[in-house]
Formats: sequence, structure tokens, C-alpha cells
Amino acid sequence: MKLSTEKIGDVTVVTVLTEVLDASNTEEFKVAAAPILEGTTKVVFEISQIKFMDSSGCGVLLSHLRQLKSSNGNLKLCRVQEPVRTLFELVRIDRIIEIFDTKEEAVKSF
Amino acid sequence: MKKIKPLVLIVDDNSTNIDLLVNTLKNDYRLGVAKNGQKALDYTEKRLPDLILLDIMMPGMNGYEVCGRLKTATRTKDIPVIFITAMTETAHKTRAFEAGALDYITKPFHTAEVKARVRTHLSLKKAREHEIYIASKIQKTLLLGKPPRDINGIQIAQLTIPSQKVDGDFIDFFKLDNQCFDLVVGDVMGKGVPAALLGAAIKSHFLRVLNELIRLTDRKEFPDPEKIISAVHSSMIDQLEDIETFVTLCYARFDMAKHLLSFVDCGHMRTIHFHADSNRCSLLRGVNMPLGFPEQEPFKQTLVPFKPGDLFVFYSDGLTEAKNQDGVLYGEKRLVDFVQKNAIIEPKELINTVRKDVVAFSQSDIFDDDLTCVLVGIEKKSALSDKAELKIKNNLTELAEVRSFVRKFCESIPDIHLNNNRINLIELAATEVTANIIKHAYDGHSDEQIWINALLSDDKIVFRFYDWGKEFELKSVPSPVFDGSLSGGFGLHIISHTVDEVTYSRDEKGRNCACLKIKL
Repeated sequence: MKLSTEKIGDVTVVTVLTEVLDASNTEEFKVAAAPILEGTTKVVFEISQIKFMDSSGCGVLLSHLRQLKSSNGNLKLCRVQEPVRTLFELVRIDRIIEIFDTKEEAVKSF
Repeated sequence: MKKIKPLVLIVDDNSTNIDLLVNTLKNDYRLGVAKNGQKALDYTEKRLPDLILLDIMMPGMNGYEVCGRLKTATRTKDIPVIFITAMTETAHKTRAFEAGALDYITKPFHTAEVKARVRTHLSLKKAREHEIYIASKIQKTLLLGKPPRDINGIQIAQLTIPSQKVDGDFIDFFKLDNQCFDLVVGDVMGKGVPAALLGAAIKSHFLRVLNELIRLTDRKEFPDPEKIISAVHSSMIDQLEDIETFVTLCYARFDMAKHLLSFVDCGHMRTIHFHADSNRCSLLRGVNMPLGFPEQEPFKQTLVPFKPGDLFVFYSDGLTEAKNQDGVLYGEKRLVDFVQKNAIIEPKELINTVRKDVVAFSQSDIFDDDLTCVLVGIEKKSALSDKAELKIKNNLTELAEVRSFVRKFCESIPDIHLNNNRINLIELAATEVTANIIKHAYDGHSDEQIWINALLSDDKIVFRFYDWGKEFELKSVPSPVFDGSLSGGFGLHIISHTVDEVTYSRDEKGRNCACLKIKL
């Protein structure tokens, strides 16, 4: 899976370049994201490309969140498409991970 | 290829005259001879001459009467007629032209003059035919749009019989989405190439205006028909005034989600609306003037709700003004009665019966005006249930296939509108169910299979997911934790909150079934 990264100050913005994040590719996502999250604490996932996500996708986001929090960092999300937002509300991820409309707002919030 | 010479019919009762004309013309033309008026008419029943040389004074039917009869029959009215006669008074000549003659040669004639006049009128006829050919080419390629095929719950059929004189009837369809399309039927005043070109220009104006308005407005709402007509009118009024013509049309939007027709009628023929529940027809008339009238009130649209089984008939005046041999018009009433009696027939067949009826009425399949007719039938809600089936391998890479199956089934249901958000949720539930089976039922053995059945009934959709793996016990699954401390355990929660009902069962053959119900 392709992830593109960008450093803005001390925040790492990861753009997730896939339209689907479900049980078929969460493992792939985990493997691709691992080296990026290594050695950084403040991370924003830009997920505007994702049109479909399932509970496995939520699971992997939560595990990244826990990993970052354990080293006093945090994970934030931005540019979430409507179906994905509906899913987040269903499993109440929107109460655990902060979600922003734009990348800039997400970066500024740290 | 050898060019076929034009056929000239000589009508005269005098053998000397006939011999003289035959000798004059025989090298350049094929010739037919009739010795009196009745024989001339009989001749044209069998063969169609390119030109007729007609004597006036003949025993029985005289030349004026023969000419008059030729001019009233659709088949023969365009044949050029030249009178050849010894009568030289102006009153006779005038009467000949009134009867429909194109020219007049007085006896005794010079052979060179006869040759020259025949040649001139044949080349004029050829030029007219060429114009008609070009106009009908324009009509076929530019004026008649193709109906969209994939609008859910709707059937469209169209009929066009071009006349010998193209008169600028045009039809077009604009598909807005799977639930909604626009139809425009119109008629340009005038005939031939100018009318055909103007019809084509109007169609392209509609396309341009539609594009611009859609770009300017919110994507979720399409521009109203009255706005579209206003924009087309203001962009064309100067051109229409310049060429001193006008256009009647009806612009209709069929919205299957709302079961609503919104139309703007600009002086066009009244659209027939057949109501399936009462088995009656009503006539839809708008309040607007034709396009091209300078003093125009704002265009107004009219809303008409429709129900399953309803039928709409759009047509041009060529249909209702088709004449029989006594000059009686086919008429609106006859069309309405015919539609009412036959509306039960599917549009694709019904349109053929309309054609047959109008041909039988006029006893001809050649018409004075273009004849166009568009039928839009709203499908009846099917009493039969629809079903579909998908077989997949026990592999997570198949999840995308499952979603596409679910979406396709939900979108293909006629007359029932599941909005996109609802379909998104159903896709999500199906993904969760399938992923659970793959991950847990088969312990990761990838050579197993999963069957998915979709079934539509009157009030619900049911998806059943079958596997032959381990028994699933709902009680054994812990409740989800929402504090972010666990990564899993959301699947069942998602499923039960995205569909109306979910049940898990296992039959005596050891087949597991997860069943999702979606109420409609």
C-alpha cells in the first residue's frame, strides 16, 4: 500500500493512498505504516482517498493510536469521507481520535 | 454503374402530338404514354414518373382535374407537371398554375423549347430531392437522440417516420443519474434544411445550457426545467427572430425517486398521461408560448406525480395531423382512445401498434409531415421477487466482490429507492459478515466456499451468507469496548446497527447461515 509522508514542523502527515481499507489490506497498511511511526510521536493521517473502511480498518487505526500514546504522542485524522465518518460514529472512534476537516487544522492542533 | 434515365410520362389523346413528343425526348429519357386522364392516374399507381407532360383538353377527365388529383395524393404530389396545350389565353394558363402545374408550353411548340423546359424542371426536381436528402440526413444523425437504457423502472420507446419534406422535429434525452432523465421533444416551424439545422442548433443549445447550469448549481440538485428553458430561450431569441421562425416544444423531467414529472410545455402538442389506477387518460398542457416569441412571461413548469403502470405519450403534430384519403385528420381524440385501449402493452410493442394504426388510418406509409412519438412507461412494481446469487472463495481478497454484488443488487431494484447512504451501510454489514466467516468459521482454510443469496420481496431485501465451517455462537462473543483499548470486537455491533434485523442459524446438515434483513 502506498503511503506518502510529509513533515510539517514536528508533525508527520501521512496521506493514505488507498480507496479501501478493509480486512483484506489492514495487515498491509500496518506493515507500511510501522517504519513511519517508528521514532515519531505526532502523526496525522490524511484519509480523503478512503471511500470504504470496515471494523478491521478501525482496529488498525486504534492500534496505531495506542502505540503513539504509549510514547506520549497522538494520532489525529483529517479529511474523512462521509461513509467512513458514519462508521467512526457507529464505533465511537470520533470520541477517541480527533478528526479535522483540513490537514492544516489537524497539524495546528498539536 | 449506368445512370438510369429519368422517366417522363406523356399524357395526350392525340397520336400526332404523342409521336412528336416521343421523338423529341426519346434519346434522353425513358418515356411512358397515357392516352387519357384516367390512364395517366392508373399509370402513376404503378410507376412514379419524374415529370409529366399533360394535355389540357382530353375526353373524359381534363388536364386540370388530373393535375389536381396528382397534387392531393402524397405519393404523387411532388412530381413536376408541365401543361402542353393549344389554349393560349391567360385565364387558362392561370388555371393550370392554380391546379399545381409548374410550367406551361403552348402548341405549336418548338422541340428545342420542350427539351429545355423538361431539362430545367428535372434539374430543379433533382436539386429539391438533394435538399430533402441532406435534411433527412441531418434529421437522422443530429435531430433524433437515443433514449437512455439504464434508468431504473422506466421503459422508453420512440417512433420516427421522416416525411419527404423534413420539418425539423427533434427529440433528445439527457440522463442526469440512474433515477432521473430529461426528455425534450420539439418542432421547428418550417421545412427542409433550414428547419433541420435550426433543430440541431436548439439541441446543442440545450446541451450547453444544461452543462453550464449543472456546473453552477449544487451537485445534489439539478437545474429546474423552467430555468433550462429560460436560459435556452434567452440565448436563442435573437437568432429565432432573425430567421423569423419559432419552435414548439415540451421539456420533461422524469424523477423516479420522487415519482414526479416536471415539464415545461411551450405550445407543443398536449402530452397524454395514462393513469394505470383509474384506466383513464388526462392531457397535459403547459402555459407557455413557443420559443421565438419576443414578449415572454417567465417560463413556468408544471408538476405531475405518476404511479407504477402509468404511461406518457409525447408526439409531434405529424401524428395527429396525418390525413386519410378523404382529408380527415387522425386527431388527438383518436390517439387518446387508442392509448387508453392499449396502454397495457409494453411501450416497445405499443409503439409499433401506434404506427400500424396511423398507417391503417391514412392508408399510406408516406406522410406529409415528420411523424414522431415517444412513449415513456413507468414499470409496474413486479409481483415476482428478484433474486441473485454469488459464490466466493474463503479469502479476504473477495470482500470487494461481495460489496459490488450487494451494491449492484440494491441499485437494480426497480421502483424502490435505496439512497446511497443506506447502500453504503448495507455494503459495510456484508463486508463484516463475510470477513467474520473467513476469519473465524474456516480457521483460515482458503479452499472453502461461501454462498451469498440476495432475495427481494415486496417489503424487504434479505441477504443470506452460507458457510460449512465451525458453528458460530453469538453468546461467546464479548460486547464491544468503545474506549479505544481494544482493536477488535466491533464487527457484530456494526452489523446489528446497519441492517434492520440479523439472525444466525445452523441447519441439520451443518450449514451456517447469517441472515441480514433490510426493510424497504
